[in-house]
Amino acid sequence: MSAVIEVRDLTKSYKDAVALDGISFDIEQNAIYGLLGRNGAGKTTAMSILTAQNLPSSGQVKVFGENPYENPKVLSRMCFVRESQKYPDDATARHAFAAARLFFPNWDQGLADELIDDFQLPLKRTIKKLSRGQLSAVGVIIGLASRAEITFFDEPYLGLDAVARQTFYDRLLADYAEHPRTILLSSHLIDEVSNLIERVLLIDAGRIIMDQSAEDARAMATNVVGDAAAIDRAVGGREVIHRESLGRVASVTFLGHLDNAERSVLAAEGLELAPVSLQQLIVRLTQQRSAGAPHVAPAAPEGSLR
Amino acid sequence: MTTLNPVAHHTAPRNRMLNVVRLQFLNRQTFLWVPALILGGSWALSMLIFWIVGGAGQTGVKAGGGAQAPLWYFLALGIQAMTMTFPFSQAMSLTRKEFYLGSLAAAAVSGLGMSVVFVLLGLLEQATGGYGFNAYFSYLEWVWMAGPLAAFLTYFALTMFFFVVGFWFATIFKRFGAVGLASSLLGTGAVLVAVVALVTFRQAWPAVAQWFMATGSLGLTLWGLALTTVLAIGSYLTLRRMPV
Repeated sequence: MSAVIEVRDLTKSYKDAVALDGISFDIEQNAIYGLLGRNGAGKTTAMSILTAQNLPSSGQVKVFGENPYENPKVLSRMCFVRESQKYPDDATARHAFAAARLFFPNWDQGLADELIDDFQLPLKRTIKKLSRGQLSAVGVIIGLASRAEITFFDEPYLGLDAVARQTFYDRLLADYAEHPRTILLSSHLIDEVSNLIERVLLIDAGRIIMDQSAEDARAMATNVVGDAAAIDRAVGGREVIHRESLGRVASVTFLGHLDNAERSVLAAEGLELAPVSLQQLIVRLTQQRSAGAPHVAPAAPEGSLR
Repeated sequence: MTTLNPVAHHTAPRNRMLNVVRLQFLNRQTFLWVPALILGGSWALSMLIFWIVGGAGQTGVKAGGGAQAPLWYFLALGIQAMTMTFPFSQAMSLTRKEFYLGSLAAAAVSGLGMSVVFVLLGLLEQATGGYGFNAYFSYLEWVWMAGPLAAFLTYFALTMFFFVVGFWFATIFKRFGAVGLASSLLGTGAVLVAVVALVTFRQAWPAVAQWFMATGSLGLTLWGLALTTVLAIGSYLTLRRMPV
């Protein structure tokens, strides 16, 4: 494995805010990354800078070993699908795909045609008259059919219904299996994409707070339910990231592994262990970090409400 | 693991800039039909006015400013080429330079087409004595002083000038907002007023008029092309570091 993207001490500050606060990370070739975090965490800013659509305040970005800014050699190997992508006024979806065919060397028209069918996308209507979901489908099709060596999807599913989103995930995985490439997917629907992503980059308030494989991330935390006093004994000095209690019964989420001896002690005490989903882990971690966060977790991440 | 056509990618695709021209012409309405409509419409209106004036007993040379309309449209064209297509060009992974040069080339295609129509109309007007009733839309004596080729160049320079000005101001608006745009418009106005003041205080208007006469339409066209080049560079420098 080799890094196709190297980011070092990347900072992006605006007049009144710091969007990215000295972040560093590598993106390895041929893997699907989940770029996760709350709204305004800096996900879009990071992707914009990686694709040279925005400029860093300081720090270094290398894509395929070079600075991507004004670099056609590097840019032509990337594709960035934005949530709020704008298209030329008169353009229809057909026009947009014709343009993509001109500029993406790996463009697969056959795949594009299949996807147009899957999403039942009208080709002759101007894009500005499409529904929000159809607009998202245009971006998704460009992102998939361009088969760029590095593809960025910035919350590509807005307005897509559950069936269409599943189509996107299935198509992405199937095409990725046949044509391995590097994919960065930013998403609020963490549970939906958690089976898709191989690595997690969690960004919060402009900083990377998690950079590891999805498998390791899922194993990071454990949830235990039972008698509060027994739990406190069992958890010991481990970091508790979430606690709910009702009378003497508590549900505690903590970081760290349990060895077999500890597990049998827990079982003997009548405590139940449960795995923590990626979404729960990420909600707890980001909640814990943001000062003055409400004690009640939001019922669902905002993305799913729109 | 396999990589995708590893060899094909290590050099930048060559014809990306030319493809930007095709990208701009996705706005077929903007780049083709609307200018054609304005050209046809202003020609027809001019002819109608000349016919009415002729009907009132005026038999002399009838010429008007109707030909300006399609040229001014290139201001709007510059604005639209920037605002409509720049964000999409970035989604197509183009560099700003590729997008800019390609957009200029697209404007040049449109401008050349417009200029050719103007020259053909002018030649027709010259040959038919103003469609037989001394009515001139394109053939303006002063512009045609140095021949049809010079007139062609003048029309072309005007289209490019307007396009670049529109493109630049649109870029300023997108990058610095309404305040930035207003400031730069006011700044441009202030510079023009300062030039007028300077000429007036030095009582140099006769000399200025003389210079204009002596330079002639071809000379002015060349100066205009030089100015357009300077503006085009300024426009590029504004676009170069603009976030999407």
